[in-house]
Amino acid sequence: MDFSYPYPGSSDEKLVWQRFLAGQPEAFEKLMSTHFRSLFQYGSKFSKDKEFVKDSIQDLFLILWEKRENLSSDIVVKSYLMASLRRLMHRSTTTRSRLFDNASPEDEGVFEIEFSVEEHYIESESAFMLTEKVRKMLSELPRRQKEVVYLKFFQDLDRNQISEVMEVSPQTVSNLLQIAIKQLRTYWKAEFLILLTIHLFI
Amino acid sequence: MDQYKNFKSEDFVWDSFFRQWVLTPTRESDQVWNDWLLQNPEISDLVYTARQTVLALKVQDTEISSREIERIISKTVGSINQPYERETILTDVAQNRFYQRSWFQFAASVLLIVAAGLWLKFYDGSFQNSESKIASLLSGKVEKGLIERVNDSSQPMEVWLEDSSRITLAPKSRISYPEKFSGAKREVSLHGEAFFEISKDPQQPFFVYSNELITKVLGTSFTIKAFDSSRQVTVEVKTGRVSVFAKSDPNLRSKIRSRELSGIVLSPNQKIIFERDQMRMVKTLVEKPQIILPKAQIPHFEFEDTPASEAFLSIGKAYGIDILFDEDLLKECPLTATLDNQTLHEKLSIICSAVESTYEILDGQVIVHSKGCRN
Repeated sequence: MDFSYPYPGSSDEKLVWQRFLAGQPEAFEKLMSTHFRSLFQYGSKFSKDKEFVKDSIQDLFLILWEKRENLSSDIVVKSYLMASLRRLMHRSTTTRSRLFDNASPEDEGVFEIEFSVEEHYIESESAFMLTEKVRKMLSELPRRQKEVVYLKFFQDLDRNQISEVMEVSPQTVSNLLQIAIKQLRTYWKAEFLILLTIHLFI
Repeated sequence: MDQYKNFKSEDFVWDSFFRQWVLTPTRESDQVWNDWLLQNPEISDLVYTARQTVLALKVQDTEISSREIERIISKTVGSINQPYERETILTDVAQNRFYQRSWFQFAASVLLIVAAGLWLKFYDGSFQNSESKIASLLSGKVEKGLIERVNDSSQPMEVWLEDSSRITLAPKSRISYPEKFSGAKREVSLHGEAFFEISKDPQQPFFVYSNELITKVLGTSFTIKAFDSSRQVTVEVKTGRVSVFAKSDPNLRSKIRSRELSGIVLSPNQKIIFERDQMRMVKTLVEKPQIILPKAQIPHFEFEDTPASEAFLSIGKAYGIDILFDEDLLKECPLTATLDNQTLHEKLSIICSAVESTYEILDGQVIVHSKGCRN
């Protein structure tokens, strides 16, 4: 099977969505295979339980299929699916913890994301230090800023799409992004010097 | 572009236009940025540093195999075609999943205990049963409950198994497999040639019996050629790992039963040739090894005064093949070549002749012989 990734918002994708709404099983399969991997990766940020993430995605598509007659044909498919999955998972997480009576306040709205460095791209010492620094600063961002940065820079969503996914106003998205970027750009001289010294001594 | 003149490296890292150029360059963006860099050479260091950071920084994603995705999709697509099942799935969601209710959990655990008891009681019997099934597969007899497909046409034929594994059966070949896989193994037998794409399930390893050879996999794709009329049986791996052993192997039973892959293990681009009359196995490389990295991660094989050792490393990584060489000798050998469009063997020959070395394929690995370049 060919898992091709059409450009987000391309007319091709719209067409598949319209055929899905018209009830064509081939379009269901195409839609699911196009988006499964990125939805799985997005969903995994909310829960470490792989089976739960897989089940949620499966449920998501079945629910959409069931109520396809009431869905709008004019949407950006990628962000719509991400928003729906996020809602669905949050809903089941809350009910799940209630059922097992072990609800902890931290369970509400987890967004766990880790960044890694692919070293074969790194050629110079300065690039190594910059990348390590950026990685560290990313991991220190508060949860909502992390999610905004992830959606904007690693999922290529625009402001309106992010506001749809995170269920906040576009203005809030801009604010969150601005704060995050400001923090990420701060040139932290002290740390730079320490890193440099450590490197000289190794 | 003037706003970029006062940028620091980290400003570039988070600039959308810059990221777009680095991650998905177009002819236009290449032109704009390269022109601008020519006019502002003093900033080029900052830009290249930022560029490496943008490329190197990745979100660590939870892994899921394409097989697994395929399996879930075909299961889901199957259920939309059956209205009854679809309804039950939807009510599950609505009621926060049936199996999470406590009475159901209680009932399920009681059932589990009873089942475990029964299983212990009948364990010996059922085990014998599966051994005899192997025996019948070994002898090539068609047992009841087995489906046999024969490809008499001149076109390859597609066969789907119950676990959503796909087999492409070559002409003049036949395969038999059970209607439903039960027990700890999935077993099929093949006469002739087939390409297998096996869905991953480490709990239920997949076995192919073909003439004198047994191939065991956990989830991967590979080709087997085992025509009754041919002197050789061959197995070629495209993705994943498979293990191969002869039916005459004295430790056959433990190898079949073990959860791991034992015997001769093949990785991508490796091939085993079993000489039927000599009962001898030789491990080598497939004729045309393919790059195994996903498209986006394939490096450019453009070398400029690069140590030959680095070139071999990057090629070995791309093809998933071990290339053995003397690092100390070859890092003194500079190489300048562009090798994007050559096959693996062409790449190796060109590099070897450039740095006065030779190479051979031994046991599925590439071995480079060199005297070094320090003269």
